[in-house]
Amino acid sequence: MSDAEDHGYDNYDQEDDERREGQEDVEQDDQPPRRKLYDEDDEDDEEDEEEEEEQSGRKEKKRAKHRHKRDRAARFLDIEAEVSDEDDEEEDDEEYGNDGFIETGGAEDDDSSRRHHARLARRQMEEEEKSPEQIARDLNQRYGGRAAVRYTGDMNEIPQRLLMPSVHDASLWQVRVKPGREREIVFSLMRKSLDLEYTARPLQILSVFQRDSLPGMVYVEARSSQQVSQAINGLVGVYPSRGIHLVPIEEMASLLQIKKQDTTVTPGTWVRVRRGQYAGDLAQVVDITENGEEVGLKFIPRIDLTPRDDGGDKKRKKAAGMRPPQRLFNFEEVIKVHGRNHVSKRGPAYVFQGDTFKDGFIEKDFKISALILEDVNPTLDEITQFSRRQDGLEESLVDLSIIAEASRKAAISVLQPGDHVEVFEGESAGVHGVVEEISQDVVTISAVGVELEGQKVELPARSVRKRFKPGDHVKVMTGKNADETGLVVSVTDNVVTFLSDMSMQEVSVFSKDLREAAEVGSGTNVVGDYELHDLVQLDLQTVGVIFKTERDSFRVLDQNGQVRLVQPHQISMRRDSNRAIATDSEGHELRVNDNMKEIDGEGRKGRVLHIHQSFYAFLHNRDITENGGVFVTRARSLASLAPKSSPLKLAPGADLSKMNPAMQPQGGMVGSGMTRGPRDRHIGLSVLVIKGPHKGYQGIIKDTNGPMARVELNTGNKLIMIDKSKLYHKKSDGKTEPLDAVGFNRGHRQGGNAGGGNMGPPNGSRTSNPYAASGGRTPGWGGGRTPNPYANSSATPAWNSSSRTPNPYAGSATPAWNASSRTPNPYAGGQTPAWSASSRTPNPYSNGGATPGRNHNASSGGWGGATPGRNASAWGNDGWKSPERSGWGSDVWNAPTPAASAATPAASAPTPAAFAPTPSNYAYSMSAPTPGVVPNTPGVMDYEDSSRDPYDPPDDWILDEKIAPHQTKLRVVISGSIMPPYLEGKYEGRTAVVVGATRVRENYEQTAFLRFEDDGEERSILTRYIKPVLPRSQDETALVIYGRRRGEVARIRQKPDSQETTEMVVVESIGSAGAAYWECQKDHMCAMAG
Amino acid sequence: MTAVIPASKSRQLRACLLCGLIQTSNDFRFNGCPNCEEILQLKDSADRVMSCTSTYFEGVIAGIDPENSWVQRWQRTSKYVRGMYAVRVRGRVPEDVETELENRGIKYRPRDLSSDQD
Repeated sequence: MSDAEDHGYDNYDQEDDERREGQEDVEQDDQPPRRKLYDEDDEDDEEDEEEEEEQSGRKEKKRAKHRHKRDRAARFLDIEAEVSDEDDEEEDDEEYGNDGFIETGGAEDDDSSRRHHARLARRQMEEEEKSPEQIARDLNQRYGGRAAVRYTGDMNEIPQRLLMPSVHDASLWQVRVKPGREREIVFSLMRKSLDLEYTARPLQILSVFQRDSLPGMVYVEARSSQQVSQAINGLVGVYPSRGIHLVPIEEMASLLQIKKQDTTVTPGTWVRVRRGQYAGDLAQVVDITENGEEVGLKFIPRIDLTPRDDGGDKKRKKAAGMRPPQRLFNFEEVIKVHGRNHVSKRGPAYVFQGDTFKDGFIEKDFKISALILEDVNPTLDEITQFSRRQDGLEESLVDLSIIAEASRKAAISVLQPGDHVEVFEGESAGVHGVVEEISQDVVTISAVGVELEGQKVELPARSVRKRFKPGDHVKVMTGKNADETGLVVSVTDNVVTFLSDMSMQEVSVFSKDLREAAEVGSGTNVVGDYELHDLVQLDLQTVGVIFKTERDSFRVLDQNGQVRLVQPHQISMRRDSNRAIATDSEGHELRVNDNMKEIDGEGRKGRVLHIHQSFYAFLHNRDITENGGVFVTRARSLASLAPKSSPLKLAPGADLSKMNPAMQPQGGMVGSGMTRGPRDRHIGLSVLVIKGPHKGYQGIIKDTNGPMARVELNTGNKLIMIDKSKLYHKKSDGKTEPLDAVGFNRGHRQGGNAGGGNMGPPNGSRTSNPYAASGGRTPGWGGGRTPNPYANSSATPAWNSSSRTPNPYAGSATPAWNASSRTPNPYAGGQTPAWSASSRTPNPYSNGGATPGRNHNASSGGWGGATPGRNASAWGNDGWKSPERSGWGSDVWNAPTPAASAATPAASAPTPAAFAPTPSNYAYSMSAPTPGVVPNTPGVMDYEDSSRDPYDPPDDWILDEKIAPHQTKLRVVISGSIMPPYLEGKYEGRTAVVVGATRVRENYEQTAFLRFEDDGEERSILTRYIKPVLPRSQDETALVIYGRRRGEVARIRQKPDSQETTEMVVVESIGSAGAAYWECQKDHMCAMAG
Repeated sequence: MTAVIPASKSRQLRACLLCGLIQTSNDFRFNGCPNCEEILQLKDSADRVMSCTSTYFEGVIAGIDPENSWVQRWQRTSKYVRGMYAVRVRGRVPEDVETELENRGIKYRPRDLSSDQD
């Protein structure tokens, strides 16, 4: 072979020798010769492959590289095996240098791979000969260079605050992801960015992170949200649709600073096992490994003392078997079952099935992640189990300090103002007092005692505990004994023992779970669906009355006088005996709640709780101690305590009919005696004031005196005296009628139930929101008696929306509104909760309409009704109190007046007075700012003068020549068909659409063919029972049926009041009359279908 | 340079107590910690890996561009290799490492966020 090659190899040898002599920089010297070797190879090739002379140098290099690769691999491969290949194929031979193999042999082999192999072997030999120091040095040299990153921690000196993000840093973007997949997504994004790094479109995000305390979110650091969405595009479990939100720069750092309150584990801590056989079991930490990842636990073992036959395979056994109960390890028991061989003894401990048992407990190491550290809440029972020793000789007391520690955290959260506490640690230990205030971890107590009497002391919540003394009556708030009450008999630190009122047994609980309570017995009389004194069905034959409720069971006295202990599930149903009656010994009827007396036997008295099958009566008398005062007797042996005046000699038939509940008039239960009923029928009526200063107000008649009535206004809770003639009855359907008509109508509707009748309507109409009813009726707005420019200004969007829609502040763009937002808060810090909530946004008023409190008033039209009373109560704001003006109008519309514009700080006018305009101001400011307010049609004024008496259309209104063309779309309601009955009144109140109607000859009844909306039935109805349906909603189309514009189709442009029929509403003419706005009394219109 | 990106589902994920890098314990054993190997000497030493890395970490950061990332600067990992980092790692490096850091005049900042107060 060539000399050069030999030389190369020698050279290598030489290097090796040098290395052996311990020269430095071996690696560096080692490299060149290798490279040289490859070069030589190439030369070699060139010599051999003369026909490829024109090969470019680049290609050579490439091949060199290729060869290099192969060589590397060859270090680990026995290439000798390739010999046969070489023999087979001539070309290969050519490439590797043909006959060299045989000629040179051994060390002189020209195959570089072969040489590497040899070299490797040799180096191994050499290394074996080297001293350890040398090896170490070599290793250092070999890897020291590569791992040049000397750990410097150069950034550690910078204080964290200097690392705060600046505006030049990329932003953080919050991305919603599927909860539970946050970590996965962060990893995916990392991999994705690496994958796409050298592609045309690399990800441009800088980092992604996730915090366990922020589930469902990952944060991406990038310059723009586009880069973020590009990055997350296509990832499963990412919800870009839920928005990519920019994290404010000041919140960026806190995202990385979030720190879960570390639950430190120290020996003695109580923990619970998270999963496995011991899942949920309480355990005590014995020791902790250095890195804090594993803890040694001590807990009560669950050893299977009834193992099945060995035949079954383990898996099935595990799946099938329930886990054995907790039981302290007992050497004898275990060897009895498992055999002596399975248990070995090591010092004081036993080893069984790989676990160590000491003092009966199992001691086992767990990873912290397999433990529940928070909310362990060990119960006293569990803890006492730990203290109990197997032999029973060593009675070590529960280490209360440990329990205290465990329950301390919880204790903070259970403190309430008014609790009696004592300080048990710290410098004021021993002090006791009453909790005044709790803020986070600090409680302020007002000390009780000789020296400190009345002083306020601030203390960490953890160092106080509730204080009880023997004799206190307490109630258990939480835990398994919840709702138990009793008398404290002893207090040991924070364990309180009390004598239960119910079970008469001693119960020990932590003081933190107790409160002082006056109530006796189980706090609630309700267990499940059943309540004390319920009549319950126990089985087919047996019923009983619950006379005592216990924690989860009842004591029931059945009809035979037997007392039973019953679980809720044993009760099949509750019986209702409210309507049941029986006859007593004298033949009088006997009802529930009657006071009766036994005429025989013990002569017990009592109030009837239930009657069963008209035979048994369950009575209750507090004076009887037995069975909670409940006793059962036969109805026949009872006599009324209050003798009935006229003992009727009852014929059996009459008696029966009376006893038949089905024949009792409904509501008959009320009985005449019950109603202390108002003498005047009008008392209790819901009325509307139709004249005078209170016109438009709604209220309830509280009392009457001749022609005068005392009316409690729904608004402002005010009582006024007013002439009855100024009142109209407001029916629950929103219609009004003169008071005098009330009696008559009601009489019809409610049949014979005169007794209770008065009670009904007021309750019904007393809506929860008084403004809903009355708001629109205020003179300023809803009354519409004055030409209300606002009503017509529907051309201005602000008005349209504010008229009835929730946002009166739609005009938030108006200076007035902004102005008020600058003021410290004229609304006195959010009288409505919503208000203060929204104040978190920089400009709460910008979306003020979203606050429910506002909506409430606004939607009810309450803004129009800025009545004095209401202002005072709702807002308590002096600025609103000027009685003569329409409150909100002045606020919003005053906008352009300088005082309110408030854009300048000087004018920002924190005083509400700034808004308080004079009445005169009102008028001007209203029209001034919006020229568009000017009515579009002069015709508006026509209606101003028209009286607002309810309009009752004539019987044949539907056939009116102007209405008839539109009649097929009219929505009508059947009215007045009950009295006198027409078609049995069964169409009364139903709405229908007119299908057709034509006038018939004068002396015949006019009819119209209607299709009823609810069931589509079509039939003809006498027109005099057909009444128009009043338009009810905004944008509804309606036909004007009365007045000058009769026959015109209009669209309602204002949300009409639901009840007021004579209300003036803003409408827009459509069709031929064309886009004119005007006002129309509501009942002058008929709603149209479609 | 980029560290090995472990599988996110791996159960053996551990975070380096010094730099917070997340790798599997095997990767730590075979390759060491690419940032701190020089001082921690994790390679081929399972014990060392156990004591200098922790499974008790929280919050995962994908450090894609450490040099320019504020997150990484905040975490003081700007100069480190690209890879997955933990926001918090519970525990402290062994005492010998702490001593060594002290000798070199390096302030040790445990990664449990306890020294963020400055």
